Amino acid sequence: MRSTFHSLEVARRGLVTQQTALQTVGHNIANANTPGYTRQRVNFVQTEPYPPASMNRPQIPGQMGTGVEAGSIQRVRESFLDIQYRGENNKLGYWEARAGSLQKMEEIMNEPSETGLSTTLDRFWQAFQDLAVNPTNAGARSVVRQRGLAVAETFRFLSDSLSSVQGDMKNEMDVTEKQVNALSQQINNINKQIGDLEPHGYLANDLYDERDRLVDELSQLVNIKVSKVGTGGSASPLAEGKYTIEMVDDSGRKIGTLVDATSNRVNRLSLEYRADTGLVDGFRLGDTSFGIGSMQSSGKLRGLIDSYGFMDGNTEKGLYPDMLNHLDTLAFEFAQEINRVHESGWSISSMETGEHTAFKFFEFKNTNIVAGNIKNAAKLFTVSADIVQSLDNIAASGYNKGIITSGEFHGYNGVGNVSVTVQSTVDADGVQQFTYTVYDAAKSPKQELMTSGSFSTLEDLGAGLSGEFVDSAGNPSVNFDLSKVRLEDVSKGNFIAVDIPKTGEVGGRVGDGSNAIALAEVKARTLQLNGVSTTFQNYYESVIGGLAVDAQEANRLSYNSETLRLSVDQRRQSVSGVSLDEEMTNMIQFQHAYNASARMITLTDELLDRIINGLGLGGR
Amino acid sequence: MRVTQSMLTQNSLRQLSTSYGKMGKLMEQLSTGKKISRPSDDPVVAMKGMYYRTNLTELEQYKRNLSESYAWMENSEAALDHVQSVMHRARELVVQGSNDTYSPEDRQAMAKEIEQLKHDFVQVANTQVAGKYIFNGTAIDKPRITDANDPMSVSMENSPFEVEVSRGIKLQSNINADNVFNKDMIEIWNGLQSALESSDTDALKSLMGRFDKAADAISAERSELGARYNRLEMVDNRIGYQEVVATRILSDNEDADIEKVITNLTMQESVHRASLGVGARVIQPSLLDFLR
Repeated sequence: MRSTFHSLEVARRGLVTQQTALQTVGHNIANANTPGYTRQRVNFVQTEPYPPASMNRPQIPGQMGTGVEAGSIQRVRESFLDIQYRGENNKLGYWEARAGSLQKMEEIMNEPSETGLSTTLDRFWQAFQDLAVNPTNAGARSVVRQRGLAVAETFRFLSDSLSSVQGDMKNEMDVTEKQVNALSQQINNINKQIGDLEPHGYLANDLYDERDRLVDELSQLVNIKVSKVGTGGSASPLAEGKYTIEMVDDSGRKIGTLVDATSNRVNRLSLEYRADTGLVDGFRLGDTSFGIGSMQSSGKLRGLIDSYGFMDGNTEKGLYPDMLNHLDTLAFEFAQEINRVHESGWSISSMETGEHTAFKFFEFKNTNIVAGNIKNAAKLFTVSADIVQSLDNIAASGYNKGIITSGEFHGYNGVGNVSVTVQSTVDADGVQQFTYTVYDAAKSPKQELMTSGSFSTLEDLGAGLSGEFVDSAGNPSVNFDLSKVRLEDVSKGNFIAVDIPKTGEVGGRVGDGSNAIALAEVKARTLQLNGVSTTFQNYYESVIGGLAVDAQEANRLSYNSETLRLSVDQRRQSVSGVSLDEEMTNMIQFQHAYNASARMITLTDELLDRIINGLGLGGR
Repeated sequence: MRVTQSMLTQNSLRQLSTSYGKMGKLMEQLSTGKKISRPSDDPVVAMKGMYYRTNLTELEQYKRNLSESYAWMENSEAALDHVQSVMHRARELVVQGSNDTYSPEDRQAMAKEIEQLKHDFVQVANTQVAGKYIFNGTAIDKPRITDANDPMSVSMENSPFEVEVSRGIKLQSNINADNVFNKDMIEIWNGLQSALESSDTDALKSLMGRFDKAADAISAERSELGARYNRLEMVDNRIGYQEVVATRILSDNEDADIEKVITNLTMQESVHRASLGVGARVIQPSLLDFLR
C-alpha cells in the first residue's frame, strides 16, 4: 500500500531537483565569461519506481513513478576537440616564438633603409670613390676614415644587438622552462585532488575545467599527449580520472613523462647548455638526459631554441647563430679583402719616407681572429690604429698594382731603365699560368729583353723574377713581392707593368687614386664567402632575402595556426560555451517545473485537507 | 552548430582586430609612402630595394666623379687652347725672324717676346686647378716645370689620372703631358730665343722643323682630349638616363601607389564600419531583453 504522503514526496523531489537545475543554470550564467569554463548540465534521473521488484511486493497495478532526482552534474565537453585544439595551439606556440624572434631580427637589421649595413657599405664605397678623384684631399681622407668607422660600428651594433636579443631569448627560454614545470606541478596537484574525490563518486567538474585549462596552456609550450588513468573506488562512469602527460615528438612518439598519474609524480624539465658556446645542447626530463635532437617537436620552447641556437653535434644552428655567423663572415672577409688591397697601396706617409709600409685598414680588437676562427669578428670589428692615428696612412695611391719591389736596383744586364710586365695566360687545359717580360724602357718603343717561362703561381713568379736582378757581385738586389697582386689585375688580358725605379725614387704618386678605386671595388668583387662564390653585396642581399623569406613564412604560419586554433576553439565553444539565451530558456523551463511542483504540493495539501478535515463527519 | 554570444563576440572581435591590422598596414604605407616596412612584408621587394638603392648610389657617385673629370678636361682644354695661340704667335715671330729683312735689333725684340711667350708656356704647364698641378701626371703636388731656362727641370711624369665613370670603366682625365710640356719644347724655346738673339737664321730654320713637329703633337693631343671629352659627355648622358631609370625602378619597386592605398583604406574603413555596426547589433540583444 502506498503512503498517503507519496504525492507530497514526489512533488518535494521535483522542487529540490528543479532547484538544483536552477542553481546549475545560475552557475553557468555566473561563469559565462570564465576562461576554460565548461557549461554544466544536470542529468535528471527518475527515482526508483514503487513498488520495486521483490518477493513481498504489494499487489498493486504496475509500477508507480516516485519522482525525480539529479543523477549527476556533468560537463558538456568533447575531448576530441581538446586534442585538436592542443595540436594547433602547439604549432601556434612554435610559430609565434619564431615569428617574434625573426621580427626582432628584422628590426635590428633594418633593411632596406638609409641606416642599414647595406647603405653603410654603399657610403664607404662612395667615400673611396671620392678619395679616388681627390687623393690629396684631407677632407676626402677623413670621410673615408669616418665611413670606415661607421662600417665597423654598424657591424658591431648589429652583432651586439643580435647578441643582446639572443640573451633576452635565453631568459624567455628559462621562463618557459619554469612555466612548463609550474604547469606540470599544478596539473599534478589537481590530479591528486581529483584522485581524492572521484573514488567517492563525485564529479570534480570545476577541477576538470581548471586542469584542462592548464593542459591547454602547457600544450602551447611543449608538444604533449594526454592519457587518462582511472582513480578506482566507486568512481562515477562519467569521472575523467587523472591525467598522465607525456612529451612527444612530432610523430607522436613518447619522449618522456612530465606528469605521471599513477605515481602522482612530476618530472622536471630543464635545458642543458654547452659550456663553451652557451647554446642549447640538450635537455633533462627527470633523471634522464636527452640530446636536443630528441625534441623534434614544436611548441614555444622549441621555437625559442630554434631561434636562440642549439648545437647539432659541433655545429651551431639556429636563427640567431646563423645571422651572427653571416655577419662574422662578412666582417672578416671584408676586412681581409680591404686590408689586402689597402696594404698593396701607397699611403702618403709611405711616399714621404720612400718606403712602402703595409697598413691594415681594419682590424679586430684584442683577439686573434683568423681564417677558420672568425667567431665574433663582427663584434670586434674596428678600424685599425694606424688609420685612426693618421689620415696619411690611408693608401689611396696604387703602385704597380700590388707588386712591391724592395732592395736596390743595379741595372739589368747593363740596362739602367727597365720595365717588367706580368701577365696571366690560360693554357690548353684551362689552367691559369703566369709569365713576365722584361723590357728596356729607355728605348721607344720598349724593347723586349727577355720573356719568362710559365709559373703556376704569382709567388713562384715573384721568386723567379727576383732571381733575375742581381748586383755587381751577383747577389740578389731587387726583391719582387707579388703577394698583394689581385688576380683580376693580371687576368682577362690585363697586365701589370712595373717600372723599376731608379735609385731613391719614391713609389706611388699622391695624385694617383687607383688604389682607392680598387678599395671601392672590393664591395662588388666576387669572392668565396662561406663556400659560395659571390660578392659582398650579393651575399648580404641573399642573407637579408633569406631572413625575409623565413620571417614571412613564420608570420604566415603563425597567422594560419592562430586561425586554425581559433576555428577549433569555436567548435569547442560551440559544445562547451555558455549561451545566455539557452540558460535563460532553461531557467524559465526549470522555474515553471519548480512552480508546477509547488502547485502539486498545494494540490496534495488540499487533498489531505479533505481527508483530515472533511472526512468522517457524515451525519453531523 | 550551437552558437553562443561569446562565440559571436569573439568572432567579431577577431574580425575587428584583423580589420584594424589591415588599416594599420595601409596607414603605415600612407605615412611612409613605402609599400613595405620590413623585409618579410615582401622579400622580393626588399631584396630588389637593396640592390636598386646601391645601384642608385653608384650612379650618383659616378655623376660626382664625372664632374671632377669635367673640371680636369675643361681646364686642360683651355690650357691647350692657350698654348696653341702662344705657339701661333711664336711661329709668326720665328717666320719674321728668319726673314733677312729684319735687323738684329728687331730680332732682339723678337727674342724678348719669345722669352715672354716661353714664360707664358711654362706658366700654362704649371696650371693648377684646386691646388693640383694638372699637367704632371699623378704627381699633382709638384709643378711640371720648375725652371723655365732648364730643360732638365721638366718633370717626366705622365701617368694617367683615371676616374671611374661606370662600374669597372675608367676614363683618363688628364692629357699626356709628355706630348706637350716636355724637355724638347723648353729646348726649342731656349734655342729660338738664343738664335734670335744671335741672329742665327740657319739655326732658326732648323728649329722651325722641330717647332712644327711639336705643334703637331700638341694639336694631336688636343684632338685626343676633345675625343675623350666627347666620350665623357656620352657617359654623362648615359648615366643621367640610367639615373632616371634607376630612380623610377626604385620607386616602382618600393613606393606605395598612393591612390591605390587611399582607395584601399577607404574600402577597408567601410568594411570596418560595417563590422563594427554588425557587431553592435549582434552582440546587444539577448533573450534577457525580451523577458518581462
